[in-house]
Amino acid sequence: MYCNKLPEIPDDRKKIWEKVDNMARANSLWVTAFGTGCGAIELRPLHTSRFDMERFGIAMRPTPRQADVLIISGYLAVKTLKRVIRVYEQIQDPKYIIALGSCTMNGGMYYDSYNTLNILDRYIPVDVYVNGCMPRPEAIIDGFSLLMKKIKEGKAEGWKNYIENLEYYRENQKKVISNWDLPDYNW
Amino acid sequence: MTHLLLSITVTTIAALAWGLLLGGISRMVTARIHGRIGPRLTQNYIDLWKLFRKKSSIHHGTMFWLAPMFRIAGGAGVLLLVPLIVGNTVIVNMSFSGDLLLVVYFMFFGCLGMALGAGDSGHPYAVIAVSRGLAQMSSYELSFSAVILVLAAGLKTLSIEEIVMAQQDGILSWNLFRYPFATVAALITFLPMQMAYPFSIVLAPQEIPIGPPTEYSSRLLSFMFSGRALFGVAKLVLFVNLFFGGASGWVSLLIKTFLLYMFPIFVSSVFPRFRTEQSIRFLWFVPTSLAAIDLLRIMI
Amino acid sequence: MEKQPQRIVSDSGFEIEVVRKDEGYFHVRVSRANVIELILSAKQRCGKNILQLISVVDRIEDDIFQLTWILEDTADSSVFIVSADYPRENCSVPTFGDIWPTAVIFERELHEMYGIEFPGNPRQYEDFLLEGWKELPPMRRDFDTLEYSIRTYGERRKRIHTDPRKFIAETTGEWDTPVPMKDEDR
Repeated sequence: MYCNKLPEIPDDRKKIWEKVDNMARANSLWVTAFGTGCGAIELRPLHTSRFDMERFGIAMRPTPRQADVLIISGYLAVKTLKRVIRVYEQIQDPKYIIALGSCTMNGGMYYDSYNTLNILDRYIPVDVYVNGCMPRPEAIIDGFSLLMKKIKEGKAEGWKNYIENLEYYRENQKKVISNWDLPDYNW
Repeated sequence: MTHLLLSITVTTIAALAWGLLLGGISRMVTARIHGRIGPRLTQNYIDLWKLFRKKSSIHHGTMFWLAPMFRIAGGAGVLLLVPLIVGNTVIVNMSFSGDLLLVVYFMFFGCLGMALGAGDSGHPYAVIAVSRGLAQMSSYELSFSAVILVLAAGLKTLSIEEIVMAQQDGILSWNLFRYPFATVAALITFLPMQMAYPFSIVLAPQEIPIGPPTEYSSRLLSFMFSGRALFGVAKLVLFVNLFFGGASGWVSLLIKTFLLYMFPIFVSSVFPRFRTEQSIRFLWFVPTSLAAIDLLRIMI
Repeated sequence: MEKQPQRIVSDSGFEIEVVRKDEGYFHVRVSRANVIELILSAKQRCGKNILQLISVVDRIEDDIFQLTWILEDTADSSVFIVSADYPRENCSVPTFGDIWPTAVIFERELHEMYGIEFPGNPRQYEDFLLEGWKELPPMRRDFDTLEYSIRTYGERRKRIHTDPRKFIAETTGEWDTPVPMKDEDR
């Protein structure tokens, strides 16, 4: 059972609900438990009593269907990019991406590697970058609060950007993934 | 008729709100036990609203859509068949028309619908969880039936209304003191009903990530959440009625359900999880034997 | 069964260069014609029953691949290491996949990363880590990773200065140092 339809941007939104929705979304960010690189180890302390991210309403979900946020934690290899695309497209709208570490911005220490992407936002839309190698848990919490601020202001619209410019992103993705065998959109 | 509909609506909405609030309190209490601050009290309402307003674009078949409705219907059914407050004539719902066996059937109904829907989603983890859940359910149903047998043999009735009325002569007439072993057995079966920790083999967060609702998203998940909250409150009210003397007023109902709700939370904060066969063996033998002691006392 | 493989080394009719000998550690270098015989006799006569690793060093200056097989005895954790040199062009190495199943996976990886052929390995053309790689194998030293990275993934965004104050001042114009640092303080 496949769906061949491409996603659409919902346009029947009422402004008054939008504000309430954004408040709710910002205060209940559910994160896909998917560690793409070395930074995944820096996410674990966020659960503990020292940093405790549950007080912001942030929780880990084991499945992308129920999540809102995808964290690209550290360097992203081409092989992982394929899985990231699958996971990202399975998350239901609205969805956000946080990218951790300098590797996601310009390749970091892997800038001359044969399989690490140098510039992440050519392939998927990133809402918040957290710099550092690796960022400390405090920095990640700071990134989360920045994302909350953006959501409350209604500016975290990477997912709309992705739907609008799907062709551009697909072209870039296909350029680096040489054995492309994904469907048009991974529902 | 209008009065009945109004009373049903009010009961369901109030129970939903109370169930979500209890869920929020339970998350806070668990966090404090871990030494964390924990989420805010209203976190469950925020989560529910967010899920309700998220876009949903997955289709896995008819049962996949119907399962959350089954869940809500099961929870609401149990809630409406159980008398809320002793002697209250304003909100009676349908508590006169069903007995304990019908209530047990409704409890099974919700879980069964859930199982069908999760099976329809086709995710392997969901299917594993469903098979575990049904095996465990049939084992604690056995112990719970033994407890019902004790009540029926001791009080010569299956009607919940009459069971509650029999406990109104002071605190020592509660079934908690009349049939202590059966009460302990019932409290043990309450743990797997609430998916609390030694018996949490259905959700099993570290083994089969989240079990049945793996494929559920956004609006369907919000229905499932509210169904679970309703179900929780319905079971609490049922247990208060069966063993703790019923509730003489709204305040007493809230306090009793709250205290009873804390029991699985404390237990699940300190226990690891059983394996499936350990859980089933435990639920077959321990609570059933406890209930059998009381049954023998009644017979002799 | 003797534990140390000295006997094999002294019994063998071919030339063996001992690289390093130690307690529970024996490293030899042989010519590539005798690799199979030496490894098989080490397995049968000394109980070196585990193939831990096959590793490759790309010595482009000598135009050779140096392959190393590391064998281990599970009873006392003693190690026997065999090295041999192979030419870089059309490198072809015997497979040990029918003796140790792990060798199939090691050899797949080496084929993908260095382009070494293992005739007789049933799965050597399957993808291991790189999916659909079409270039020169990436771990060979004549493969230019920087050039490939720029060609495929684009040039990295560089910072113009290494001095963070200057950089922030140029991009935002907001850096205001009350006491300017002297150059010798830096």
